[in-house]
Amino acid sequence: MKHLLLALCLWAMAYSVFSQELYVSTEPASNMATNSLGIRVEDQGYFNPTYKNRETLELMYGASRHLMVHGSIYVSDYYENQQHFDGGSIYVKYRFLSVDSVQKHFRGAFFTKLSSINNPIVNQEITLEGDNSGLQSGFVFTQLLHKLALSGTVSYLHAWDNAGGFNLPVSNAKNAVAYTLSSGYLLLPKAYKDYSQLNVNVYAELLGKTNPGYGQSYLDAAPAVQLIFNSLIRVDFSYRIPLYNSMIRNTDHMYLVRLEYNLFNL
Amino acid sequence: MKALKIFMALLMLTTGIAKAQFTKAELQVSGLTCALCAKATEKSLRTLPFIGDIKPDLIRNIFVITFKNDQAVNFDEISKKVQDAGFFVNSLKATFNFDKVKVANNYFSYGGDTFRVMNGADKPISGQVPVTIVDKGFAPKSLSKKYISQVADAAPVKPGRIYHVAI
Repeated sequence: MKHLLLALCLWAMAYSVFSQELYVSTEPASNMATNSLGIRVEDQGYFNPTYKNRETLELMYGASRHLMVHGSIYVSDYYENQQHFDGGSIYVKYRFLSVDSVQKHFRGAFFTKLSSINNPIVNQEITLEGDNSGLQSGFVFTQLLHKLALSGTVSYLHAWDNAGGFNLPVSNAKNAVAYTLSSGYLLLPKAYKDYSQLNVNVYAELLGKTNPGYGQSYLDAAPAVQLIFNSLIRVDFSYRIPLYNSMIRNTDHMYLVRLEYNLFNL
Repeated sequence: MKALKIFMALLMLTTGIAKAQFTKAELQVSGLTCALCAKATEKSLRTLPFIGDIKPDLIRNIFVITFKNDQAVNFDEISKKVQDAGFFVNSLKATFNFDKVKVANNYFSYGGDTFRVMNGADKPISGQVPVTIVDKGFAPKSLSKKYISQVADAAPVKPGRIYHVAI
């Protein structure tokens, strides 16, 4: 079953008809247009052993043609019985490489993320999306080649003690390596004529992390569906299915629902 | 500074008659892969004062631009807007009316700028003719290099920005 899923993901990546790079679980190397603002409201969660969820409010701003900044705040009931403010993060992406032509482009960007979170640390996975205070830095490369679009990221994560006196347990890994591989294609419309047409995009993403020296790692397949209304409003759905997992984490079998609204020319 | 402004205003007035000569353009943008990206690019282009209307052809990544006939077109501004949106101009083919302005020694002028015709047109040009800008920022680097490397002679002193074009 898991091999089948992996094979399906790879097949989807190789046979993308119209490539799309508005990935759901990762970021492409491309940035938003200068002076445009994206507003995201997100709900993520899991059902086992009990239903828990997290809401994220994220603002994304295109500062220049090369630089883009995201700011996020998180609220969840992951570590308490009621919803509680987890903290926030700042993400910066700098596009340093663009080799473009009409049918293909190759882009590279460097990104870094900083988070401050006030939750107890009970998981082995280091995530800066509401669970750990830390730093993440890495590279993302996106290649569009005729009809195939692939995007990969490699990054390094470092966790600190969390705010609120919640220290990182001594037995936990302080460092991790994260890697992703994503692909997407435009399912609808068949003939792309104007902005008001509903876009339906389907994505196949592989998301992995390893805590080096601790024998803890995972690789998830994260299929996703995306609807874009009027070229302004974006709705994402995704679900993470572990292909293998040896890490205690919140992101196991996690769903994601997201609403994004874009404002151009501020 | 004030004198410069007055001079610029006079220049604008005297070149006003020539403004209507670029009537429309086909702008092909490279790297566009999504509806959001195309819309952001178009919205950014629409903030330019000399752009009258834009019709996108989303299949070919082309924006068909109609210029206002009372405003001078600034091509560098178009390239800048496309790059600020995160993309590049793959080709810009603008239609020029050669009925009133003639090409002399492979040069013609428009709105205070000079246009150098790179593929030496021997036969006289008249009427509405599409002109492709081949400068850096308007064409793929390799194509731009190919044309610009042909400029062997020292360019004579000409007013304004010198654009290199192919007809």
